[in-house]
Amino acid sequence: MNNRGVTILICTAVFIAGLILTVDAKAHEMTPTYPKFESSFVSGVMKTKMRLFNRRNDVKYYEIGVFDSEWKPVPFVTSYKLLQMDYLETVSFDLYINTKDLSNSTYICSKSKLIKSDVISTGIASRICSKIK
Amino acid sequence: MKNVLTVVAATLALNVMATDVPVQGNVQMRCLITTDIPGVYGNPTPHTLSTAVASGGVLPVVRYDITLADSYKAKITTPTSFSSSPALIDTVTWTGSTAVAQTSDAGMSGYEAAKVTYDATTEYDLTVAGSTWFSATLSATNGYDKAFPGGVYSAVLVAECIAK
Repeated sequence: MNNRGVTILICTAVFIAGLILTVDAKAHEMTPTYPKFESSFVSGVMKTKMRLFNRRNDVKYYEIGVFDSEWKPVPFVTSYKLLQMDYLETVSFDLYINTKDLSNSTYICSKSKLIKSDVISTGIASRICSKIK
Repeated sequence: MKNVLTVVAATLALNVMATDVPVQGNVQMRCLITTDIPGVYGNPTPHTLSTAVASGGVLPVVRYDITLADSYKAKITTPTSFSSSPALIDTVTWTGSTAVAQTSDAGMSGYEAAKVTYDATTEYDLTVAGSTWFSATLSATNGYDKAFPGGVYSAVLVAECIAK
């Protein structure tokens, strides 16, 4: 390969690397992985704090759900079960569960809600579940 | 004069204080799902839609970043219906498969062999901390080899990260 060939190869590699680095990442994150519950201001009700981070610019809503080990829904209370979140926004929310339901609760999940008209060809819905231990 | 300046400079140098500036970071254990490529259906024949590259499609790619080993499962469910499409009168046959496309750690080489598939879902045990890229090949075939009516077709793949 001559010098011109090597130069073209390097320029192409740099261009592709630049292209990869500028690709817009779209991510969904929820913490903590293993939430700890504490007593709330209401007797018989336990609470925990969860944090959700929206780095998906194609998603504005996340649905919160609590499930038992068989993935059956468990009653819970949050300010909103469907959180509206802007791109790059972080939301911390308190989640309340009856003490009697807490022993059956296994997962706290957040699921991205895609708007039907926004899905072009194939869309990807993401769901992250933390585990209550 | 030169000696005086030397002494002054030396004195000043002795008074220079080195201060350590602590920079702290906290890596919380977490799972991050990133949609690297949403995917596009190709239309290789009138009655088939497929994300396979050979069919003119683009494979959807999802990246999982985990910061704690052996604490999460990845579940990827391929679509079994269109989220939007023109009216269809025939039954659509769906197929889907998920595979590990890329890994950040050599210890993840066993993920593909250890995957568990049931219905339209594939489960991977994420036993190593780091990033794993999964790609999915999806296809939909219209019944009785009838052409899909013209219009926009879309379907949703579900990527889940479940704490163990």
